[in-house]
Amino acid sequence: MVDNNTNPAEPEVSADQKGLSRRQFLIGFGGLGVGLALGGIFGGAFLLSDEVIAIQASGGWLLVDTKKCSGCTSCMMACSLAHHGETNMSLSRIQITQDPFGKFPDDISIAQCRQCPYPSCVEACPTGAMHVDKVTGVRTVDVAKCIGCERCVNACPFTPSRALWNFEEKHSQKCDLCKDSPFWDEDGGPDGKRACEEVCSMGAIKFTRELPVQSEDGYETDLRTGTAWDTLGFGGSPKSGGALG
Amino acid sequence: MASGNGYSGKILKVDLTTGKFETIPTEKYKSWGGGHGMGSAIFFDLCTDKTIKGTDPRNVVTIMTSPLSGTLAPSVAGRCEVQGIGIQGYPIGWFTRSNFGGRFSTQLKFAGWDGIVLMGKSPRKVWLNIVNGDVKLQDATDLWGLNTRETQEEIWASVEPSKKDNDWVNLGQSRDSGRTTQRPAVLTTGPNAERFGPMAALVHDAGNGAGQGGFGGVFASKNLKAISVLGSGGVAIADPKALMAARIWSKDYSFAGHHDNPVEYIGLQTFGSTPGRPLSTIQDSPEGTKSRPQGCVGCIRACRGRTDTGKGNESSCVDFYWYDSHDVKANGQITDATPRAADAIQLAGVNAYVVESSTLWIEQLYHQGILGKGKEIDSNLPFDVFGSGEWAEAFINCIITQTDIGKELCKGVAQAAHAWGRFEKDTKSGILPLQEWGYAQHYDARTEVEWGYGSLMGERDINEHDFNWHVYWTPTIAGLFGVEPAVSAKRLSEIIAKKMIPYNDPMAINYSDEGIYSESMAKTVAWHRHYTRFFKQSMLFCDWAWADFVNHYGPEQEGMTSIGEPKFMNAVTGGDMTFAEGMEVGRRIWNLDRAIWILQGRHRDMEKFTEYSYTTGAQPGMTTYEAPYTMPVFENNEWSYKSVAGRILDRQKVEDWKTLFFKVEGWDVKSGWPTRETLEKLDLANVADALEKAGKLGASA
Repeated sequence: MVDNNTNPAEPEVSADQKGLSRRQFLIGFGGLGVGLALGGIFGGAFLLSDEVIAIQASGGWLLVDTKKCSGCTSCMMACSLAHHGETNMSLSRIQITQDPFGKFPDDISIAQCRQCPYPSCVEACPTGAMHVDKVTGVRTVDVAKCIGCERCVNACPFTPSRALWNFEEKHSQKCDLCKDSPFWDEDGGPDGKRACEEVCSMGAIKFTRELPVQSEDGYETDLRTGTAWDTLGFGGSPKSGGALG
Repeated sequence: MASGNGYSGKILKVDLTTGKFETIPTEKYKSWGGGHGMGSAIFFDLCTDKTIKGTDPRNVVTIMTSPLSGTLAPSVAGRCEVQGIGIQGYPIGWFTRSNFGGRFSTQLKFAGWDGIVLMGKSPRKVWLNIVNGDVKLQDATDLWGLNTRETQEEIWASVEPSKKDNDWVNLGQSRDSGRTTQRPAVLTTGPNAERFGPMAALVHDAGNGAGQGGFGGVFASKNLKAISVLGSGGVAIADPKALMAARIWSKDYSFAGHHDNPVEYIGLQTFGSTPGRPLSTIQDSPEGTKSRPQGCVGCIRACRGRTDTGKGNESSCVDFYWYDSHDVKANGQITDATPRAADAIQLAGVNAYVVESSTLWIEQLYHQGILGKGKEIDSNLPFDVFGSGEWAEAFINCIITQTDIGKELCKGVAQAAHAWGRFEKDTKSGILPLQEWGYAQHYDARTEVEWGYGSLMGERDINEHDFNWHVYWTPTIAGLFGVEPAVSAKRLSEIIAKKMIPYNDPMAINYSDEGIYSESMAKTVAWHRHYTRFFKQSMLFCDWAWADFVNHYGPEQEGMTSIGEPKFMNAVTGGDMTFAEGMEVGRRIWNLDRAIWILQGRHRDMEKFTEYSYTTGAQPGMTTYEAPYTMPVFENNEWSYKSVAGRILDRQKVEDWKTLFFKVEGWDVKSGWPTRETLEKLDLANVADALEKAGKLGASA
């Protein structure tokens, strides 16, 4: 459900009418189509010329550079700590998965919510629990409205799903850029701080207000070029391997 | 939601003989903090005959976490402590310990357990499968001969048969039984580890190992191949806001807070920079390798790496570098042989320290014409390609298949030396550098005495770098590069004295020829034993990030130690323990360990360094670190850095130092046994009773 002043109705999406599946639409456009062109410029929902209803862009996004990640999973613990008062990777809204025997850089994957320009989790929610915050644009959950149907969890086009089932409190949840982080003495959200970003010792997570280029593999993010990382001798740094190594 | 403040609240007791499980309330052992303290106390209670060998089914093995495991305490969360009677030590295996990193302790906490206690011996080969509260012993017949990677991959597939890519997996039948994206954390032995037990390590993921002690062999003697754990719970934090604030506070002391302007280092000076920057020891080795720094759960240092070849993944320090000097000597640079050698030990589950020292010794015997094809010690190892990956793999293979010289080495290095009639000669000359209790010389007792004394008063090579980074590595490397260390010897003595609560001795790091036998050095060793027993081995602060004495990011170059440890502990537990109180718990644990060794047969008369330490100065290429051994000394009323390489120990002065040390500890100086008075002050009257019953209670002064 879109939470805004002008069009509180659930958006109707015409992608299917044009012969595209919901998944194809979301992945095909990714952040690049709608978000890059319009995100952050217009508030609220708006009607594009091809009759695709777009919705308010998020106030920002989390960039992750998997090549910088050390796999320490501190971001996961910080996420659950700030939101729930416990360190619990299963409740973390950012997920790091890794293969200790894998080859760099494919040994680690970082799954952070992309605050999709057209959030299928929001669209799938039958009660408006999963919604776009009208102030920040963050896609988040009003737990009081959540009926536990998990449609948002299943609707997320990415693996693992960025919307997750909180099996302790019995509701769905997802990254809110720490807008609602009661166990942390900092203001979160796009105008505040993000716990995962703050604790990352490698600087592999960075908040941005400019939607990055992305593909199915994630944002094409390089947080190494032009930084001291070049001097640390990891070979995977841009100096010896190019932006994407 | 987890049930306690940092603690899960229960410890899993596994009777392998009967296959039954019990729960021990963590509360019963909470006064010991966690980790090693709890492990020692549990061992003391449950191992009724401490004189047994490590392979005896009555041996009790503990695998313990801390309240900080699985939390944001920096470079703490991933460590795990293993204890029991070992089978590597010589002439007695001693009640000993090892410690490994990675994800295991975190997953154990998330599964709802503070630790595991292994009792008895299974009638069949098994592995232990823990998924949250669901615990099973499963058949390990098909896993028994597999290497550590194969074993883990088989177990991963068994525990999460439905897992695809990085997707969520439901842990149970109900949707509310928990979910995770994580792989099970598996701690495993290598193939048929009972056959090379004293050399056998426990390995987790690609490069986390509990090597010292021979616990791989102890596991195998219990017919236990591996333990897998996967959890979807959490660790409840007493004061989440304080923990978040503390973690962010620690950024000022590490690379985390200085990405744009990290400290400049000289060569290997990163060794002396806790926790200055990511330190992947395999970065760019061999040249051209691309890698990432990789850290255990919650780590801010990331001392290992994963490479674009997948070789050498997660191996750090000696795991990666046990063979590099031979590689460089043969090939002129680090080649593929070094990571191949690292992988060989990790896959086989063989202790890197044993292999490193054995290789140096074997090389000497080969060059002396004693070992080789048709020689006194017959060997078909390919010495014509010594320094290659082929030789390293052949060497490891001969140990795990008990072929060639592995027929004897599989029983232990000291045992092999006896079998070959080399023990007395080679430990006297020093080419077989088993400096304390049959463990290979690591940092040299002749020069860096806090390391040697600590090992001698304990039961194994201590492998604790608290002082080592600052008193050896930093000044030595700076000297090799012809520059002054950033911190003068005088300033170093001030910083360390300030942080060494409660002794605060300004002469604590005087490594001069007089200083190494002083009461100040006795206090240094006592402080080190107490600090590490509690903060590092019980609360599980990692050795490669703590103690943080000198920190180039810190105010006036002072690190987090003495402030940081209680800050993180109290945020997690809700307690108000001071650093000094933690030190006292460490003293209590150290005394309990001492009592266990005494029940095993320890007496001060046994506590002597191996002969070469008193007769031979270090010679390059024979042991490990014979570069100029530059250390802080206080001579002629002045602090300076000075090379003390080549020094030998004075036998009588070492004995006199032991007396000083026993006085500092409140032990009987004639026997080295704790007195009732000392033990009762530590609330260990039951331990005093046990020693008295055995006729081994120290006499009061």
